[in-house]
Amino acid sequence: MKTINVTINGTRYEETVPVRMLLVDFIRERLALTGTHVGCTYEGVCGACTIHLDGEAVKSCMLLAVQADGHEITTVEGLAKGGELSALQRAFRQHHGLQCGFCTPGILMNMTEFLVHNPTPTDDEIRQGLIGNLCRCTGYVHIVTSVRAAADELARTGGA
Amino acid sequence: MATNTKDDTKAWMGARLERKEDLRLITGQGRYLGDVVLPGMLYAVFVRSEYAHAKIVSIDASEALALPGVVAVYKGEDLMGKVKSMRQPVLLPNLPAKFPEYWALAVGTAKFHGEPVAVVVARDKYVAVDAAELVAVEYEELPVVIDPEAALADGSTLVHPDSGTNEIFGMTFTGGATEEEQKKNEAEVEAIFAGADVVVKHRFRVHRTGVTPMEPRGCLCDWSDADGLTAWITTQRPHIDRLGLADILEIPAQQVRVIAPRDQGGGFGVKAPFFRENVVVAFAARELGRPVRWVESRYESLMNVGQERDQINVCEVAASKDGKLLALRNRGIADNGTGQTGVYWGFVMPFLGAVEMPNGYTWGKGDIKLRVATTNKACLTPSRAFGHFPTRFAVERSIDMVAHRLGMEPSDLRRKNIVPQLPYTSVTGEYYDSGNFLKVWDNLMTHIDLPAFRREQAAARAQGRYLGIGFACGVELSGVASELLVPMENQPGYGAASVRLDPRGKVHVYGGDAPGGQGHETTVAQVVAATFGIAPTDTVVTTGDTGTTPFGAGTIGARAGSYFVSAVHKACQELKKKITRILAHDLALEAEEEDFEFANGQVTLIRDRSQTKTFREIVERIIMAPVNLPEGEVGGLDATAFFEALKPMICFNADFCVVEVNADSGEFKILRWVSSEDVGNVINPMIVDGQMHGAIVQGLSNAMFEQFIYDERGQQLTADFERYKLATAADVPDLQITYASTPCPHTPLGTRGIGEGRPSSVSGALSNAVCDALAPFGIEITELPLRPDAVWRQIQAAKAAR
Ligand code: FES
Ligand code: FES
Repeated sequence: MKTINVTINGTRYEETVPVRMLLVDFIRERLALTGTHVGCTYEGVCGACTIHLDGEAVKSCMLLAVQADGHEITTVEGLAKGGELSALQRAFRQHHGLQCGFCTPGILMNMTEFLVHNPTPTDDEIRQGLIGNLCRCTGYVHIVTSVRAAADELARTGGA
Repeated sequence: MATNTKDDTKAWMGARLERKEDLRLITGQGRYLGDVVLPGMLYAVFVRSEYAHAKIVSIDASEALALPGVVAVYKGEDLMGKVKSMRQPVLLPNLPAKFPEYWALAVGTAKFHGEPVAVVVARDKYVAVDAAELVAVEYEELPVVIDPEAALADGSTLVHPDSGTNEIFGMTFTGGATEEEQKKNEAEVEAIFAGADVVVKHRFRVHRTGVTPMEPRGCLCDWSDADGLTAWITTQRPHIDRLGLADILEIPAQQVRVIAPRDQGGGFGVKAPFFRENVVVAFAARELGRPVRWVESRYESLMNVGQERDQINVCEVAASKDGKLLALRNRGIADNGTGQTGVYWGFVMPFLGAVEMPNGYTWGKGDIKLRVATTNKACLTPSRAFGHFPTRFAVERSIDMVAHRLGMEPSDLRRKNIVPQLPYTSVTGEYYDSGNFLKVWDNLMTHIDLPAFRREQAAARAQGRYLGIGFACGVELSGVASELLVPMENQPGYGAASVRLDPRGKVHVYGGDAPGGQGHETTVAQVVAATFGIAPTDTVVTTGDTGTTPFGAGTIGARAGSYFVSAVHKACQELKKKITRILAHDLALEAEEEDFEFANGQVTLIRDRSQTKTFREIVERIIMAPVNLPEGEVGGLDATAFFEALKPMICFNADFCVVEVNADSGEFKILRWVSSEDVGNVINPMIVDGQMHGAIVQGLSNAMFEQFIYDERGQQLTADFERYKLATAADVPDLQITYASTPCPHTPLGTRGIGEGRPSSVSGALSNAVCDALAPFGIEITELPLRPDAVWRQIQAAKAAR
């Protein structure tokens, strides 16, 4: 057991956890933030568990909760600010970028960071950027449309 | 602004409405099975067979039980006398088959790698996983049978010795019901082949692949001695799960409630069967008097479900020299796996695959036979393009081969043989109700200038670049009618919905199906809005809860757009009639339903628009103030309707794709993918587009990447996403979906159910394009998956043969 301090979506938590507890389980089961999903056997392939650790998109099934000690985390629950959806969230809704929604939180987290580093991506770059996220429903077409629409929107409104 | 009912209907019907589901799903507020927690909940983890076929000599759970936090370990024997076998009548199709008897946990013998042999229940998830590893199972390996042809040979090891054979199912699909008629038909087909100008015959092998929803399976069972069992299950058919659980656990049916969570991470058929794991979890909850939850790992999922296709088809086509398809003969052998899966038993998919083999072509005659073999592999589970992925590959490839032999354009040959007029009954007896196949085809062809492409292709070849174009089409079921669903799955095909109005003029719809991403909440709300002239936000939809919904066959086989919305519409019409009856009475008018318009939240007399009431007013009056009613009328506005079309229904699609193949490496790239679809009248075009995208990419992923592999000892080697590769966004092209629809005359709104069978034509179009590109080498692809290494080998063989 180890006591850790993490800030998640702006809230500070001090929790005592078994050393072997995965970060994804800590987020989902200890903190009941169930928007972060598990789609593979913690192999880091499906991307459904993607979160931001200090602003960087990471797969939370590949980390232990204790490794997040002292760090800042954002999950899908923290994407909307003050009840206002992010441009990417709005675009997914507008362009039908999701069907079952199981992969969606991970994709939103990954692509939020992607757009920070690549604000004017080509479709090919978006597709490359999505390699770490599997989706079984959409065939990716509307996901690409949504990400591009969000990029355009951000360019028009000057970011965030 | 809408001025009459018709225009208002149009306003919501066909609108690109943002989905009602999405707000919760993009903010992390979805509620999937793994998000449901009950106080005192225990965690179940299965111990699964390490061998494909082995005698279970002993199971020693003492070490596991000694681990702090472990509550119980159950093995097959512990269930005996307390639960019945999985072979219960409600789970058996009405087809002649050798259904194997089996129990929720293996008893005596394990028959495939991954079969559940024991379950551990613990207070903590991590402890349950640890304990499962401590359960010591002693096995004695038995000979395995993993090849379907070997399984059908005399003297083969038997997967189920009690059956006396590995042939779980066999059938002739053509000619008639009696053996005499079938023999006569065979002889007639043989005569056609003997006299035909062109005959092509090939052995087509389609690998084991299917669909893997991103959310694996799971269930959470809660037991109370007073109320019985409540089970949350990832399922497409909660009502059948309820009956199966009641019968197997011998619980009075009224004490079983099954709830499919409102959000499910995809189904695609994989969550449609009745699964043994759910019985075990329910049993454990009842034994322990505590809630027990099992969430399947991806590893378990890939070991157990989502495996389909896996067929050999020796397919022959006879044609005349002017390109008329004269006869189709096929001998199919399907690899069923063990057959230990309720409702489908593996063979129901190949059964339908044989039925659907003729596709949208007017074969003069057919002779189609199928044999299905049990093997020591996981049982086939339904996967989108249910059953007919392999047979369609064989047919679409064969048609191209005929065209190559005749020197005809494959697209011309197809057009010549596409069913020109509907309704039509195929050579296997499948009824095609309506639509216009040629319109769909001709629309597809407007998107390619074929002569120009041929010139471009020739010019590219001159530079050593290999371009190709491939075509295919698909007749798909638009929901499954009782006529087919009763024999095939022992359940009704009707759609069912309850529509309940509340005094505030809002609507609650209850449906017994259980969606997983298809957008039922939105589509249904659009239909309700169109009917009552209210906003889609005024309607809430509940699905999947057997405690509140009418009996439904489930979210299977594209039923939403055909059966479910039609039932919703029918229930709404009933309520509308009652509303107008009472309104006419209140206004002291002689008026019928047609005399009123429902629009913009008002119910208005069309001939005198001053006679109007808000929808809410009249609804509230009927529910809350049921006085001064017309004679014989009572208050309340709640209706349940069942919808069954007069005939089975279909939808139709066609594809072409353009590829470029690197003849040095065998690598190929899809440059264009264009589809043409008949989807009937559309409720929400955005959702329909999305269904097509997902289906086509699933077809591509199956054809190019995914493959379950078993070694010669029956060890499954592909139980993670590193080895069982799905297409990523970077692996697949953008898609151009186009429409040439004909309203369905058998549904009240002209809609069709779409999206389920849609992946089936994909592998044919893709393979045809690669063969077209490599025409200078004379290559014919007869096996899937279609991967660069296979293409490269064929090129090398062709070069060597020169
Ligand atoms: S759960 Fe699949 S990558 Fe983390
Ligand atoms: S929306 Fe279902 S997996 Fe992506």
